[in-house]
Amino acid sequence: MGRMKLYRQPSRQGYELGRLALLRAAAPWDLICVGYGLGIALLVVLSYILGALRLFPYDPQEMDLALMMARPGVGGHLLGTDFMGRDILSRLILGTQAYFLPGLLGITIALGAGTLLGVLAGYHGRTTDRAVTFAVNLIDSFPRLVLILLMIAAFKPGIYYIMVVVGITNVPTVASLIRGKIQFLRDKSFIEAAVAIGLNARTIILKHILWYNCRSLLIIQATLGMAEAILIETSLSYLGFGVQEPAPSWGNMVLSGANYLLQGKFWLSTTPALAILVTILGFHLLGDGLNNILEVGGKK
Amino acid sequence: MRLSALRPVALLLTRELLFTALLLVGVSVVVFLILHLAPGDPFSLLLEDQMATAAVHVRQAAGDHGTWYGRYVTWLAHMVQGNFGTSIRTGLPVLGEIVRVGINTLYLTLGSMLVTLLMAVPIALSSSRHGTTLRNWPFTMFAYVVSALPVFWLSYVVIYFVLHKFGLFPILLGPSGDQKWISFLLPVLVLGIANGTVSEVVRHLQNEMSRVLAEDYIRTARAKGASVWAHAFKEGFLIPVTEIIAAKIPFILGGAVVVEQVFNWPGMGRMAWQAAQDRDYPVIMGIAIAAAVFVRAAALLQRVVYIMVNPRASHEESRSWGA
Repeated sequence: MGRMKLYRQPSRQGYELGRLALLRAAAPWDLICVGYGLGIALLVVLSYILGALRLFPYDPQEMDLALMMARPGVGGHLLGTDFMGRDILSRLILGTQAYFLPGLLGITIALGAGTLLGVLAGYHGRTTDRAVTFAVNLIDSFPRLVLILLMIAAFKPGIYYIMVVVGITNVPTVASLIRGKIQFLRDKSFIEAAVAIGLNARTIILKHILWYNCRSLLIIQATLGMAEAILIETSLSYLGFGVQEPAPSWGNMVLSGANYLLQGKFWLSTTPALAILVTILGFHLLGDGLNNILEVGGKK
Repeated sequence: MRLSALRPVALLLTRELLFTALLLVGVSVVVFLILHLAPGDPFSLLLEDQMATAAVHVRQAAGDHGTWYGRYVTWLAHMVQGNFGTSIRTGLPVLGEIVRVGINTLYLTLGSMLVTLLMAVPIALSSSRHGTTLRNWPFTMFAYVVSALPVFWLSYVVIYFVLHKFGLFPILLGPSGDQKWISFLLPVLVLGIANGTVSEVVRHLQNEMSRVLAEDYIRTARAKGASVWAHAFKEGFLIPVTEIIAAKIPFILGGAVVVEQVFNWPGMGRMAWQAAQDRDYPVIMGIAIAAAVFVRAAALLQRVVYIMVNPRASHEESRSWGA
């Protein structure tokens, strides 16, 4: 059944290309990027599930003072142990707990509120557009980390509240993309036709604009949002405002390993740093690759 | 240029100025509301075991009385006069402190923006001229990898290699222990490389440049043998570059918080970190407002360049929404 769907020509969606043709027309590097990104996303989800089920190679909290700062591979520890002899691989797996669900919350808020504001600004009159423009520019005036530090000083919030703030600061990007898309689509003949056959505004916006034409855009923004969530969470944990020891986060693992980096024991902080690098890179490449294939390629 | 031709430009600039002023008022309301809604206040932290009367006295001395909008108006009036209050931790006036360290942050931010552009522009121009080919794909990939680097880790690696491995201490510190110019260069380089915006800058410049290169007027220029670069410069380079600078300044300011922390850089970011630790409200508030002013100034500058360069700007109603 899934195969049948691949071959269906979704002509009423305004695409000139079917799904499979879209893949065939894509540049090979875009496909490589998307493949790599999907692999990373899958790995993160898998780590999250493993962490939730508490399935680790070793207990991530168990200290082994006989095997402190073991090199990768020594004593069965695939990625070595940290300064207290705890298994780094297990702590990396557990570290995904720190950002995954909060990140999803931030993405949901950014997409939800951003879509709402974008639709209001794009579909309604000039006054609404100006009000939304003002709100969006107001949010954009604050550097995200400074705003979060302000929130931390005022409320001492948990990671979920911080991700709400991150979600809000991502609203402008989503809103402007949706607004631009709607202004582009508004004068298209298929929207005029939808109005002419008497569909109400809700159906036109939800089905014909958002579902048929903004779906891929929202998916792309979601993947980029996850990259940002990881960046913020690790930065905050690094600065000491996020996850606290002994609970692991990739950010505080880099921090606690940094002192030993100067002694030449590089893997303590390099392993979590590489995890951050590889994961953020994956989500960026996934988002931009999908963008090239679906948005840019789909229009040609 | 006739004087009448300048009128729409002047009109637009006035509108931009008004919009910026309005946004700054909005910023002050947001900051004030956040701090107003905060449970407890810094004084409860300071006076934990003191008598209630002492608290009242300290609060009155700090000008803390009346309703919230009354306090907002008083607060705003003070700020307009340049009185941002005094730091609860150090007792020094906030504005003076922010100006003192703000210069350092300004230097760090602008310097690293320059480093980012020096890396991103050649990559973007190359791939917009030739399209993505096997030869320039590695460079684009490099931009992506660099943007995903955690900046705090890169800082440590750089410190490790420069100071410990190569023993470059003598270069960094003069004979009397004072820091030399090169130690100011390291944080700028690190933040410029790993602020996480390189790939986005490349992407934006590349998209805009290749869009412009496909325009009819470029084809005309090419056909009559004129310089393509000179014709594409304004729309394909100047406008996108100013756009992306204005859009990424907030992001780099955020990165500055981390880098200043690692390198012990006496800047606004470090001060913000300290203030968040101590719940030093006047300081973090002043920094948030200073950062917002900085961001708005960059955005205003971008609009000015856009209006000056683009003759169509005066016919446009809709404002650009950032990159």
